[in-house]
Amino acid sequence: MKRPLIFSSTLTFLLFFLLSVCFAATTLYVTSENAELKSDCSSSSATIVELKRGSALTLVVSEGRWYKVTTLLNETGWIYRGKVSEEEPEIEDAGDDEGGLGGLLGGLSGSDINADAADSSRSIRGLSPEAKEYAETTGTPQQSQDALDSVISLKTSNQEIDQFLKEGKIGEYAD
Amino acid sequence: MNNPKDISPNNSVSSRRNFLKLAGPFALFLSCPAYAFDLFKIIDPDGQNSDIQKAKQALEGLTGIVQSAEGIDYKSEFTIGETLALEGFQRYGLPVKNKKLQTYVNTLGNAVAQNSMRPDITYYFVVVDTPIYNAFSCPGGIVFVSGSLVKGMNDESELACVLSHEVAHVAHKHALSSVRRAKFFESAAKIGTINMKGDQGKQYQEMVGGLQTMLFDKGLDKGMEYEADESAMAVAYRTGYDPNGLIRVLKMLQQKEATATSKGSWFSTHPPLSSRLEKCYQWQKKYPDAAQMATVVTRFQSYRKML
Repeated sequence: MKRPLIFSSTLTFLLFFLLSVCFAATTLYVTSENAELKSDCSSSSATIVELKRGSALTLVVSEGRWYKVTTLLNETGWIYRGKVSEEEPEIEDAGDDEGGLGGLLGGLSGSDINADAADSSRSIRGLSPEAKEYAETTGTPQQSQDALDSVISLKTSNQEIDQFLKEGKIGEYAD
Repeated sequence: MNNPKDISPNNSVSSRRNFLKLAGPFALFLSCPAYAFDLFKIIDPDGQNSDIQKAKQALEGLTGIVQSAEGIDYKSEFTIGETLALEGFQRYGLPVKNKKLQTYVNTLGNAVAQNSMRPDITYYFVVVDTPIYNAFSCPGGIVFVSGSLVKGMNDESELACVLSHEVAHVAHKHALSSVRRAKFFESAAKIGTINMKGDQGKQYQEMVGGLQTMLFDKGLDKGMEYEADESAMAVAYRTGYDPNGLIRVLKMLQQKEATATSKGSWFSTHPPLSSRLEKCYQWQKKYPDAAQMATVVTRFQSYRKML
């Protein structure tokens, strides 16, 4: 009498275990900057919400290069596969303290390096006073300083990047 | 009156253990301050032990030193990158005078960087006028690519892979970790006055000199280059480009190797092309639909003409 009971309990347990493994929800994380949840599996569809890097999403279904996902706030939509990963990204603490070399060298000229690493909008800036001081000390030619100044003054916005990808039919903008 | 907890045998044993744990870093601090922090990380990697954390904070306050080359803040990292870039222009030449071309490469570079493992910093890409086949990245995100290397390519996915390779070096802080033993990182104060013309200024210049030797002549560790190659294929693919672009660039370089200048080029600063290609063929298997990904030939060639 006992044996069939043990057998059926084990079988039920195994069945539940297998079902839970098969239907376990896959968690994805937003790993890219400039990620958007779309209303359909197309870049031209409406944007439901902009997603922050590191946001957790639950995979519903995949279709081609797109994933249908649900956010923690229960919003359901589509995201391009290149923007997510099963591995949670490391979020760097960009910080804005005066520590480190920047703060240290900034002390020389009473300035700070005007960089905001956390700012995804790419702000315009020129050669830092610290680099200028290095250039003066080492006798770096003015044309090298001007070259660096021009390079770090280049601004690329997220909109320009999107337009660039769209024109090239790249990634989420592919046919 | 003492708290009974303070004199319990268990507490006494724990204190003794913590004392022994702290003795190492402090002894190391006396001879080499920056490495003491590395030892703290090994002893208490998760920062769970409050005594060790307090001691670490005390040591930080006492010395104010930059904890390690890889652990420095972004601002410091970018400052080092700027100074290295100043040297780069002297070594490899000035930017190609074509704003449209520079904007194109900068936009492409930032497009791939958005899908890298470190997308939250600003990257700057510049094409320099030199006959040497080369690309390198400065800490903090200033990336150089030679006009000759771009000229040798045939489509945008190839350039996307090369730029992704350089972004990977920045993201992994490969250059900084290569000079982590530099004297500068042993004694650089966090707050205070360092005179560029003084001793610490000299140490800073020595450290930048070490970076130059590493990036312009000797090259990074082989393992770092392979890691950047693997990452380049992944990032290009995530962005939507054909990851085989990297294979095509390496093959192109193989053809040029016999006649090209070796000193200061990708040939002398990177592992042999044959071994890189061998590894790329392995990683290629991860992208079965690579052939359907973008290569963007026409747009790329219209900009290549500007060189």
